[in-house]
Amino acid sequence: MHELSIALNIVEIANEELTRHGGERIRAVHIQLGPLAGVAKEALLFSFGLACEGTAAEGCRLVIEDTKGRDLDIVRMEIEP
Amino acid sequence: MNGSAVMRPRIVEVRERVLKQNDLLARELRQRFQEAGVRVVSMVSSPGAGKTTLLEKTLTILNRGCRVAALVGDLATENDALRLQRSGAPVKQITTGTTCHLDASMISTALTDWDLKGFDILFIENVGNLVCPSSYDLGENLRAVLISTTEGEDKPLKYPTIFNTADIAVITKIDLAAAVEFDLKAVHRNIQTVRPGMRVVEVSAKTGTGIDAWLEAISFRK
Repeated sequence: MHELSIALNIVEIANEELTRHGGERIRAVHIQLGPLAGVAKEALLFSFGLACEGTAAEGCRLVIEDTKGRDLDIVRMEIEP
Repeated sequence: MNGSAVMRPRIVEVRERVLKQNDLLARELRQRFQEAGVRVVSMVSSPGAGKTTLLEKTLTILNRGCRVAALVGDLATENDALRLQRSGAPVKQITTGTTCHLDASMISTALTDWDLKGFDILFIENVGNLVCPSSYDLGENLRAVLISTTEGEDKPLKYPTIFNTADIAVITKIDLAAAVEFDLKAVHRNIQTVRPGMRVVEVSAKTGTGIDAWLEAISFRK
């Protein structure tokens, strides 16, 4: 249920990072997600699409790497140019 | 299309916690609480586990000897705050709208016109939910997860995350255990399976059973 707010957080951070790196579009965001983070993957993927709308991340992929513990981190992004 | 026309995305390293904003704010809150000398206890459970009833009892007892206050979260209505105000303690309702949990910014906003130095213990009653609150640090010193005897004994196994982020577990409505054939041994075993060594207290806010153990647990007297 709180995956939408998590997704909005991801998009917000991703857009800040995009500005910092001087890019225009975000093509992919890679995150690490642990089983104890309390975040459902399917719900996050669904929410992420909505959260990206109207931002430089619109249409971008969310790549989720299963890790351990309470991990919930953005590790890298693919941006253009 | 020749190779030079194909735009290859750049890969940039990020390494940011997704909840960094909440975590930073929670850290600030924790520092404010410490400087003001107030202990902060949060309560989480599914809806109907008895958070408000236990809190009402707790505020009524503690309000005689120390300065207590409470923030209470729900999606809508001021009902819980009105109920808790009968204890005589200052109580503020946080209505979250559609949000299924409290976060650090809601706590910070709710506290703007309260002088924390005026309190010994501040309680935070989270929105009834065993999933979402586990991701959000509220700056509390102690998080209590409640499970009532009218729920399944396997709740800890079904919702391990919330038990892992909590400091103590409270089994509520203990006066009903026999009537609903609640298997106490099983729930204790299940709690210890998901969180070995977790402190557990059994209470009935109605009869007063276990209230002393609960008060001792939240006052951090070991």
